[in-house]
Amino acid sequence: MRILVVDDSRIMRNIIKNTLMYLHQPDDEYLEAADGVEALDLLLKNQVDLVLLDWNMPKLNGLELVKKLRAMEQFQNLPIIMITSEAAKYNVIEAIKEGVNDYLVKPVSERGLLAKIKRVFPNL
Amino acid sequence: MDIKYIDPFIQATNHVFNELFNIKPEVGKPFIMDKNQEHGWDVSAIIGIAGETKGAVVLSFPSELAHNLTSRLTGKPVPSPDEDVVDTIGEVVNIVAGNAKKGLEEYRLMISLPSIVTGRNHKIVWPGKNAPIISIPFQSELGAFSLSVVLENIIG
Repeated sequence: MRILVVDDSRIMRNIIKNTLMYLHQPDDEYLEAADGVEALDLLLKNQVDLVLLDWNMPKLNGLELVKKLRAMEQFQNLPIIMITSEAAKYNVIEAIKEGVNDYLVKPVSERGLLAKIKRVFPNL
Repeated sequence: MDIKYIDPFIQATNHVFNELFNIKPEVGKPFIMDKNQEHGWDVSAIIGIAGETKGAVVLSFPSELAHNLTSRLTGKPVPSPDEDVVDTIGEVVNIVAGNAKKGLEEYRLMISLPSIVTGRNHKIVWPGKNAPIISIPFQSELGAFSLSVVLENIIG
């Protein structure tokens, strides 16, 4: 599985990647982007199976990226889990309405992240 | 002072320090900060708040604590480079502000990207000419730090 981790914090991207190592999928491959523009560029050039997406980022934020992706036919079914500090219910509702598959509030626990991924990929 | 609107920020700070750094800080007594007085901190991480109010959330640290928090997060025992320190404390204030919104849902709020100011007694440009700055001292096993909040027309 190829996973794209999008977060403007390099340290947070590393934490998320290290957490995912617990899935013990030896073939997993990780791509990283620091904002929505970089992420879109990577998605257009690579086959990606899952996007873990921050909300508050420079250039193009996570929600704006979701809107762009869901408007493009090839990304309408791409699994996206939003991982963000934004904990207000109205933010969660807005993100779900725009098409994220699931939503996780930072700080992320290993258990929380793995549970969300297993909801999106029940066979893992 | 209406603690109702400060409490979500205190709760979020405790939660973030506990989850990210395995630290349970002790909360001191909130006070109104004089923006013209020297504060003695070395580095501050700032998030602006917009929407149904204007404001800011600021976490201020001595540089040693900022470096120690970074080392704890990265798992590197050596002193962290400045880039990692900026990344760490920026992310911490971002999570505190975003998490606190859950306790302030009667207001529709947006938070900015974090900015970092460094230097002993650095100046912070606070929003709201007359809005009070509520400062909350924290004490932790790694040292003291401060949380300051301004919410125009809500607090004060």
